Amino acid sequence: MEVIPSLDLLGGNVVRLTHGNFDTAKVYGEPEAVLASLDVPRGARLHVVDLEASRTGRPVETRIVERLASRDLIVQVGGGIRTLDDARRWFDCGAERVIVGTIAADGSPLLASLVETFGAQCIVPAVDIRNGVIRIAGWQRDAPVSIAEVFTRLESLAIPEALVTDISHDGVLRGPSFRLYRELARLTSIRIIASGGVSNAGDVVSLARQRNISGCVIGKALLERRIDLADALARVAMPNAIPERVIPCLDVRDGRVVKGVNFVDIRDAGDPVECARRYEDEGADEIVILDISATDANRQTALDTVRRVADSLFIPLTVGGGIRTVEDFRAMLRAGADRVAINTAAIRNPQLIADCASEFGVQAVVLSCDAKDGRVMVRSGKESADIDAVEWCRRAESLGAGEILLTSVNRDGTGAGFDIELLRAVTSVLKIGVIASGGAGKLEDFRDAIECGGARAVLAASLFHDRVLTVGEVKRHLAEEGIPVR
Amino acid sequence: MILIDSPVANTANIARALRTAGADLQITSDPDAIARAQKLVLPGVGSFAAAMRWLIEHRIDSAIRDAVNGGASLLGICVGHQLLFDLSHEMGTTRGLGLVPGEVRKFEGRLPVPQIGWNRVTARGPLFEGVENPVFYFVNSYAAANAPHEIARADYGGPFTAAVQNGRVFGVQFHPEKSSSAGLQVLRNFIAWK
Repeated sequence: MEVIPSLDLLGGNVVRLTHGNFDTAKVYGEPEAVLASLDVPRGARLHVVDLEASRTGRPVETRIVERLASRDLIVQVGGGIRTLDDARRWFDCGAERVIVGTIAADGSPLLASLVETFGAQCIVPAVDIRNGVIRIAGWQRDAPVSIAEVFTRLESLAIPEALVTDISHDGVLRGPSFRLYRELARLTSIRIIASGGVSNAGDVVSLARQRNISGCVIGKALLERRIDLADALARVAMPNAIPERVIPCLDVRDGRVVKGVNFVDIRDAGDPVECARRYEDEGADEIVILDISATDANRQTALDTVRRVADSLFIPLTVGGGIRTVEDFRAMLRAGADRVAINTAAIRNPQLIADCASEFGVQAVVLSCDAKDGRVMVRSGKESADIDAVEWCRRAESLGAGEILLTSVNRDGTGAGFDIELLRAVTSVLKIGVIASGGAGKLEDFRDAIECGGARAVLAASLFHDRVLTVGEVKRHLAEEGIPVR
Repeated sequence: MILIDSPVANTANIARALRTAGADLQITSDPDAIARAQKLVLPGVGSFAAAMRWLIEHRIDSAIRDAVNGGASLLGICVGHQLLFDLSHEMGTTRGLGLVPGEVRKFEGRLPVPQIGWNRVTARGPLFEGVENPVFYFVNSYAAANAPHEIARADYGGPFTAAVQNGRVFGVQFHPEKSSSAGLQVLRNFIAWK
């Protein structure tokens, strides 16, 4: 998949408009300076929009396109192309492709003329979709034809690639419209350049995993430094190299696995060793044990449980619950845990994260963060610590946490799906991995947590204990949806 | 088979995995016993320099070389695998056992270090026979790359050597004891190798 930086041009500069308002243009400087600051590699494709041209219908920034095209960049340019001559003007400037909007979807004969004159591979139709309907004329009107009809027509003209923007999405919060692109994969053989909503490097990887997506256009996220281009390119080069993980969680009390919604109505769910072994056989990539016993006396039982489970597994084991000191941490590692999760104690004493990381290595340290309405909760999600969850996760990373176990208290036990907005907020600002927890109810939830939430692992408890879904079913589903699993 | 009982390794997990895979195992740090072994497993976690220092202080480095020269086969795991190479660039430069040519360096890609998790390898040779799904569990910040005797390769922001074989000397950068059935199969293959 190509990563295509997008530059909106106005008055000789790269700008961003808010809500299409020309009076509020934020200026980022001359295109060459912007390209240099973004580290755009030679030979890259650039998406250039001449904003003035889209308003007036006449190519304006032709000099800039000439300059860019002479710099070993593949330029595709758009903005108010309404005649063959408009398009020719851009090709004469060195553009390799032109983007056409309204005429791609309003049945205009100009589209066929453009294809005939310049070749189908040089014409990129831009299709803007809102709630399943194509919008034209600067999103002002519904197109007279359906999405299926438009793509059938594009296919009949042998157009290989279309730029698709979902304008119903609030991109930053919800990310690219993966669902729309999936639907298009069933509808058409035309390859899609995804546009809109790409706000972190994980989005780019997730798009690269969809087979019908040939490129993704990124504007604001690059200009605002939310995405490092080199970083995104490196990850896109091998989007399937590293498998994502599925992790059953055992809440353990007094040596038994228990389950209950928000720690109320707790029921017995079996022997931890038997559960853990069954999950390994089903393909679990790791097991998490959370000790929810309340008293110190029960800690010894917890250590014993960890020892028994560790002795029966050949996959990594992460243990959390009631870890207050470096010595507690050490005891869990000695009992056979590979990694230990710290929660409440780290909020009271953040230095504990750094101390454990330097004593045992960052790979052993998991920061468990329970979040409710964006704030950190302590004491099993019962009490607010009045700290912003995203800030806390960021701080934990800088202190030496190797991974974050992020539980949405709002979603926990509801089966309503993982909290994608919370996940996106955290994964967008971290380099270390995030385990999504709380809310899994159906197969698609796991996919969404990884694909859209940016999680590197997905965790569930009662869903697996109750055999609503098996670990194997979840992994098969992820694989079918293009997400690499072990 | 001897599992070298190092304080800078998690020997208990490896011992359990080796026994599950069928090994008749002795766990010791006695250099005389090590020098006489037929089969040796060298585990290791933490820093290369500390692990190497411990081997030298306890004369285990020469015991391992004696054993290998006498016909023993050897499997290094994780930092134990790294110790097989000529040298490591972890915190300065430290000489390794020199049983396998190559050098160990820090990951240079843009992915978070250490690598913590499962990774797919491209593998060949007797150590990987019968491994249906070659995905293994790694925890490492350092690795060899393009080692001359590479038998398995993985990618973490760039290719690295996931396993080597130089005659009877084997090394795996991953943790077979944490890699479920694929890891146990590798251990079985080492146990059965002649």
